[in-house]
Amino acid sequence: MADQGAADPGNNNNNKPEASEGTIIKVTVKTPKDKEEIAIAEDASVTQFKEEISRRFKAKQDQLVLIFAGKILKDGDSLSQHGIKDGLTVHLVIKTAQKAGDGGSTSASSSTSTQAGNTSASSPDTNPSSTAGSTGTTAPPTQTPNILTGFGDLAGLAGLGMGSANFMELQQQMQRQLMSNPEMLSQIMENPLVQNMMSNPDLMRQMIMANPQMQQLMERNPEISHMLNNPELMRQTMELARNPAMMQEMMRNQDRALSNLESIPGGYNALRRMYTDIQEPIVTCNPFSALGGTSESGAQPSRTENRDGGTTPSVPGMQSLLQQISENPQLMQNMLSAPYMRSMMQSLAQNPELASQVLMNNPLFAGNPQLQEQFRSQLPIFLQQMQNPEALSVMTNPRAMQALMQIQQGLQTLQTEAPGLMPSLMTGGVPGIPTGGIPGIPTGVVPGIPTGGGMPTENPASSPSSAGTNTAQQQLMQQMLQMFAGGGGGGGSTQTPEVRFQSQLDQLSAMGFINREANLQALIATGGDINAAIERLLGSQPS
Amino acid sequence: MAFSSFKVPRNFRLLEELEEGQKGEGDGTVSWGLEDDEDMTLTRWTGMIIGPARVSRTNYENRIYSLKVECGSRYPEAAPTVRFVTKINMNGINNSNGTVDSRSIPILAKWQNSYSIKIVLQELRRLMMSKENMKLPQPPEGQTYST
Repeated sequence: MADQGAADPGNNNNNKPEASEGTIIKVTVKTPKDKEEIAIAEDASVTQFKEEISRRFKAKQDQLVLIFAGKILKDGDSLSQHGIKDGLTVHLVIKTAQKAGDGGSTSASSSTSTQAGNTSASSPDTNPSSTAGSTGTTAPPTQTPNILTGFGDLAGLAGLGMGSANFMELQQQMQRQLMSNPEMLSQIMENPLVQNMMSNPDLMRQMIMANPQMQQLMERNPEISHMLNNPELMRQTMELARNPAMMQEMMRNQDRALSNLESIPGGYNALRRMYTDIQEPIVTCNPFSALGGTSESGAQPSRTENRDGGTTPSVPGMQSLLQQISENPQLMQNMLSAPYMRSMMQSLAQNPELASQVLMNNPLFAGNPQLQEQFRSQLPIFLQQMQNPEALSVMTNPRAMQALMQIQQGLQTLQTEAPGLMPSLMTGGVPGIPTGGIPGIPTGVVPGIPTGGGMPTENPASSPSSAGTNTAQQQLMQQMLQMFAGGGGGGGSTQTPEVRFQSQLDQLSAMGFINREANLQALIATGGDINAAIERLLGSQPS
Repeated sequence: MAFSSFKVPRNFRLLEELEEGQKGEGDGTVSWGLEDDEDMTLTRWTGMIIGPARVSRTNYENRIYSLKVECGSRYPEAAPTVRFVTKINMNGINNSNGTVDSRSIPILAKWQNSYSIKIVLQELRRLMMSKENMKLPQPPEGQTYST
């Protein structure tokens, strides 16, 4: 071993990317039959080492498995990490037929089926940024990487502020972001809303189905619908999506599985077919899924193990959607006109159950069951408003949005300054109320948007002194404000009115006013004044 | 490696073995090292056996087997416990969790304090080539025991 052997030419680093500062060490590489001394930089990576080895041993890098001190050296490691120093020996195994898989890693056999499940995870898209119901659009069934395309769509909203007015582009970018930045993904995943969505397979399925493209896809490929209907698979997928590390693992497994397929005679063709059958329609459905298509490139012999990272620089977190919207009015327009948004709204409208679930999962409501109830009762109205084109047009009107935002800000200040003032503001159709919808947006409730949208329509309709004009409307507004007061701001009254007026409520019910909700409204409107509340109740009740 | 009749302290022994493992002493078919470089007790080791290649077409050809070796406090007076991580089908190896049965592997059964981790690995490799084991069908490559 002391003999240099072919070490001199070994020093020919033709185009070896050697670190200029690193010292060169001589490492002996031993195979069961052979032995070579290789000079390499001390701080080189295993990959670089393998390049050199592949040259010397005339084998492909893929076939090389390096072992040192009982451990397999992975490409991503560095030599120094393993303590490989000058004069030490590394064992080499040149794999013949199979690809160089880890000796100790799990078999990729069952990964394919789970992969199929993976992608449906892309669907659950409730996202801190209002959900664009893009659910279905992107769930490319069989192949993995597209998991994120779903998020790409949604979170696309969450705004990259990259200056791109085009909603679609935003999506793309977001997707790339997500791919390259796993923290972002985990941020999204951690949002309780998302988690709640994901833990509800029915919900997900509905969302997925709502998308016409998805439906088409399902017709063409019955396996997809089968997969969707398999709750176990869905759950698994959701778990996977929740855990980016796991996801990567799955992808790698899939890569391996694919590569194994390749080696089977005829396997390559099967892969190719698979690719064309499945990937392409998806790609046409959703241009962004192509972004994710990297590991799918099992169809191509050369592929990277990991998903293709984004090329865009990473954006630190997601900006508030509202900011985005105000900066970029076009965004709102696009967002609303996006087909899946519509379909999402439609499905929400048709299915109050769905809507209520989504609503209930909103963290704002999470701690406030009364609010939830109230909301639930108002749901049908909400849904109608969502359909109201006027509402939509307000949403798309940038100036209106800006005005709303200002109002919201004003309200916030007001809240901190004069907490007691809030309830009395509720008397009239306070313009601030629509903004109740707005905090809904950044916190990511879809109905938040329509509510915000719904409000403005009521606003012009109801004059400032609209006390009791329309009970439903008023209740709506009050609830929004409550939600706002309860969840937003942070300054003023964090107690729900119900808690505050508990004693009054009791008195009222003792007197015979059994409609608790109406009582509450009245109390809120009058700021806790029982007599005035009774007047209101008597006045608004027919009879 | 002068193991004379006096008992070499455990840690000295293990340190020596560590060094050997890094230098790749031996015929290049086995490799071993500490599982965790920070392990001051030098107890847990990982080992690799490169399956006998092309020796009359064994089923182990070109495969890499990963093992865990645990040198207890009485090592080297007491034999280490060995466990396969990579799935293998071989006499004396527990099929479900890969533990090596100390009684069926000769050198473990008749352990001497001059034996070392290297010798254990080499012996296991030799056994892979034995007539009885060579014919055994092996599980697909890359599978591990799920402990």
